[in-house]
Amino acid sequence: MSDPLSAFHLAVSFSAFTDIDFWTSVGILAGTYAIFATGLQMNVGFTGIFNFGQVGFMAIGAYSMAILTAEHGVNFWLSLPISILIAIGFGLIIGLPSLRLRADYFAIATIAAAEAIRLVALNARDLTNGPQGIFGFDNSWNSVSDSIEEFIVDLGWTDVPSLFPLFLVTWVVAIVLIVGFSRIQRTPWGRVLRAIREDEDAARALGKNAFSYKLQSLAFAATTGALAGFVLALNLKFVVPDEFQPLVTFIGYVVLLLGGLANYWGVVVGSVILWTVLEGMRFVELPLSETKIAALRFMILGVVLIGLMAFRPQGAFGKREEMVLGD
Amino acid sequence: MEAGTLGAGQERSLGERLANLVNSVNDAPFGVKAAAGVLLLDLVLLLADRFPDSALEWVALVAIVAISIFALTALERRPALLAVVVLLNILAMLLMLHDLQSVSQRGINGLSLGAIYALGAVGLTLVYGILKLVNFAHGEFLTFGAYMAYLVNVTWGVPLIFGILFAIATTALLGVALEKLMWAPMRGRGAGMLQLVLMTIGLSFLLRYGIQFVWGTELRQLDVNVTDTVNFLDLRIGRTQLIVVVVGFVTLVATGLMLRMTLLGKRMRALSDDLELAEASGIDTSRVILWTWIFAAGLAGLAGVFAGAVTQLQPELGFELLLPIFAAVILGGIGNPFGALAAGVLLGIVIEWSTFFVTPGLKLAVGFVILIIVLIIRPEGILGRARTV
Amino acid sequence: MTEPATAAAPAPAADTGARAIFEADGIVKRFGGIQAVDGATMSVGEASITALIGPNGAGKTTFFNLITGFYRPDGGRAVFAGREVQGRPPYMIARLGMVRTFQITKALSAMPVIDNMMLAAPNQPGERLRNVIFRPAASIRREREVREQALELLEVFNLAKLADQYAGTLSGGQRKLLELARALMTRPRFLLLDEPMAGINPTLGRRLLDHMQRLRAEDGVTFLFIEHDMEVVMNHADRVIVMAEGKVIADGEPHEVRADERVIDAYLGGAKVTPPGADGEGASE
Ligand SMILES: Nc1ncnc2c1ncn2[C@@H]1O[C@H](COP(=O)(O)OP(=O)(O)O)[C@@H](O)[C@H]1O
Ligand SMILES: [Mg+2]
Repeated sequence: MSDPLSAFHLAVSFSAFTDIDFWTSVGILAGTYAIFATGLQMNVGFTGIFNFGQVGFMAIGAYSMAILTAEHGVNFWLSLPISILIAIGFGLIIGLPSLRLRADYFAIATIAAAEAIRLVALNARDLTNGPQGIFGFDNSWNSVSDSIEEFIVDLGWTDVPSLFPLFLVTWVVAIVLIVGFSRIQRTPWGRVLRAIREDEDAARALGKNAFSYKLQSLAFAATTGALAGFVLALNLKFVVPDEFQPLVTFIGYVVLLLGGLANYWGVVVGSVILWTVLEGMRFVELPLSETKIAALRFMILGVVLIGLMAFRPQGAFGKREEMVLGD
Repeated sequence: MEAGTLGAGQERSLGERLANLVNSVNDAPFGVKAAAGVLLLDLVLLLADRFPDSALEWVALVAIVAISIFALTALERRPALLAVVVLLNILAMLLMLHDLQSVSQRGINGLSLGAIYALGAVGLTLVYGILKLVNFAHGEFLTFGAYMAYLVNVTWGVPLIFGILFAIATTALLGVALEKLMWAPMRGRGAGMLQLVLMTIGLSFLLRYGIQFVWGTELRQLDVNVTDTVNFLDLRIGRTQLIVVVVGFVTLVATGLMLRMTLLGKRMRALSDDLELAEASGIDTSRVILWTWIFAAGLAGLAGVFAGAVTQLQPELGFELLLPIFAAVILGGIGNPFGALAAGVLLGIVIEWSTFFVTPGLKLAVGFVILIIVLIIRPEGILGRARTV
Repeated sequence: MTEPATAAAPAPAADTGARAIFEADGIVKRFGGIQAVDGATMSVGEASITALIGPNGAGKTTFFNLITGFYRPDGGRAVFAGREVQGRPPYMIARLGMVRTFQITKALSAMPVIDNMMLAAPNQPGERLRNVIFRPAASIRREREVREQALELLEVFNLAKLADQYAGTLSGGQRKLLELARALMTRPRFLLLDEPMAGINPTLGRRLLDHMQRLRAEDGVTFLFIEHDMEVVMNHADRVIVMAEGKVIADGEPHEVRADERVIDAYLGGAKVTPPGADGEGASE
């Protein structure tokens, strides 16, 4: 039984609610999912394509980076753009045949594609080292992380959590992405995306190559998926297939819907709320076993998703006029 | 405006050439496409396995390829038979490259897997066809059924047959309860497709982790004999597996007959075809919908017990089966229960046969690749009727 | 590119014998057993206003879908301005200047009216990702031009004061007008309108017709419109093409067509008598 959340297993002991190490980890988690869901927001909230394979891009990004760096000695910083390009390449390969399909078929095709990627990662031992995964790709990052830590110490904060540099970088990436995506969404290019979301045929009748725009949108999602994959890998220090269960995409959707559709800042709100609540639950003393509490957390996730869709389909903070779901 | 046509002109050359290419592939005579498909498929099989190493095998290969192309061309307008030809082509290739015994041994494994897929798929496709609900929680119906049987069979120590009946009944009840609590009200509000899909995902979480909450994550075993085997024509078949295949196929045939012969079955298919038309012609749709859930969930519960009996129980049992079941639904043509039955069995066999070429861990990936290929060349499914646009 | 095209508008307006800008030859489409369009053949003169009429289910909407790339024809040829268009994707056909509207309106509901309009403008460099990133100024300049044009056009259709409203809040008639105005934003050479008058009030209908006349006269735009209101057809079309059961059964000036036996048969002979303007069966999706 795999519990992707335990992936982010917090090795720290957190007796106090104010444990800064603990909240740094939660912050990285929230940032990772904000990055992850920014691409989903472009797909679902602004283009109307229901990408259920986002975790596949995350896997491709993380594995490409790890394999290039740890197995082939490629410079870590160079491996990042290459991995993003590989993820985009996969996005195009998956999108070319499947974006022509009806929305429901597309959803199933993408989830199947992402699962195929995970199964290959699990079984292609020569390439991915199978279930054991890949280690030792983060030396370059660690030295950068150390210098950031030193810099902060010099500023006068002496007990910096060791993950604090990653926290900073994660959120800088998230904010830059969100600002960038929001701006690009307000251009004529973004307007075409929204038109496709509203009515693809109308857009085509006005001379827009809807298919090409949908592919571009998917490429953006692949990019944010890969970026989230990098952060995940640096956070865990290893890359294993079990981290890339379909569940991760579903959590991405919860983040998306909690914050509301058709608003990039929503993913920040959604991710912060979700992870604060899920991780904050650890402080509620329950007379239950570890497994039961883990199960309870996911049950809550399910209830949140059902409740949102039943009562607030535009998301907790979404605009009613730009409601994308329902009719 | 002149500029408008000019601006378009620059792009047209490349885009137009691409479009022309796609069209010329689309417009190629069926015989050419069939030949290309067979050659490609068999080449992939040879590359994954081995090339013929005797004159006799080369002759056999040429014969297999030629007969397949001929049969495909002759059956152009019969997609179901085309699928059978493709399957026979693969079978012939396997028999050429391996021996009858190992091919049929894996074929039997495929039958039991296929029975489970088919039992899961028939209900999923009816729900999909009738309610336009892409139910990601269908896998949890299987898990639920398996644990209900466990409750009776292991916890209470009652023979498994009662466990099976209890599983079917309780899972059906769960289906009905969810229809009343969630789906009927949401339909009333005119909920959109994604909205419902996400609700089913939420429900899937709730059920799966609810089961985990109660029973934990440890692997559990139904009280069945997993070591006994039956020897039959040189084949070693597990006793439990044999029971699954036999009971599974009896149920599948009964389900098929029910859908074809009984009034209820006909109504279900009518609703799946066109809900509004069926409503207009005076069918009590809400009653049929309720029965559809009873069938869908009940069969899923049975499939779950079978899956638990041939493997082990864990909270992700059903979720792991969900995607291949979806694949069977799409291959069979969404909303077409007969298609789902046939496609589930075929998929089970092909997936097991694929272990000749890939490690068993990748056999599901083969299923997904098949799904994606079919979605590309025939999105309405092998047995689905051609839809326009 | 902001001023109306002049070079492309040499046509002697009302002359129906003008050279054809569009020709269809033997277009065929089957849906399962139904022969929805069965060898439709027609030609449309440049800068003409041609009406396409026919009883419900005659295949008019399907014909539009076939020649604008939304369906792939099973046979036949369609030529627009010297280029074959059958089998091309819709967006390419639209960019050639052959633009259609839909019988069931396709207002982009969750976008403001002004965005609906600006979307349709051609030659917006900002619709390409690389221009957005490397040439943002060009995109912004073009946006300004386009906004002005859009507001002018909205004025014509009495929609200017609704420019910032979401299109979803408009009434049915207003949406129909918006879709028309939006199609005009593309600066088409050949406009295909599927029942443009249905559901809009007579005053606005008149304005629409006047605008069509003016565009034809000033810019040489060609119109092919599906219409059920015989009054409108007789008074405003230069030519009328009649379809029934997937075929073109008559083609001529309004008064000729009105007297044609076959046309009367098609409308009255079949069991289904078409009340003008009541064609609700949409096949535009
Ligand atoms: N997508 C489709 N699938 C099946 N039949 C269709 C489709 N579109 C149109 N038809 C059928 O084709 C015929 C012509 O329809 P249509 O073109 O909408 O007629 P009109 O616009 O002249 O009223 C009708 O019988 C209609 O039912
Ligand atoms: Mg029509």
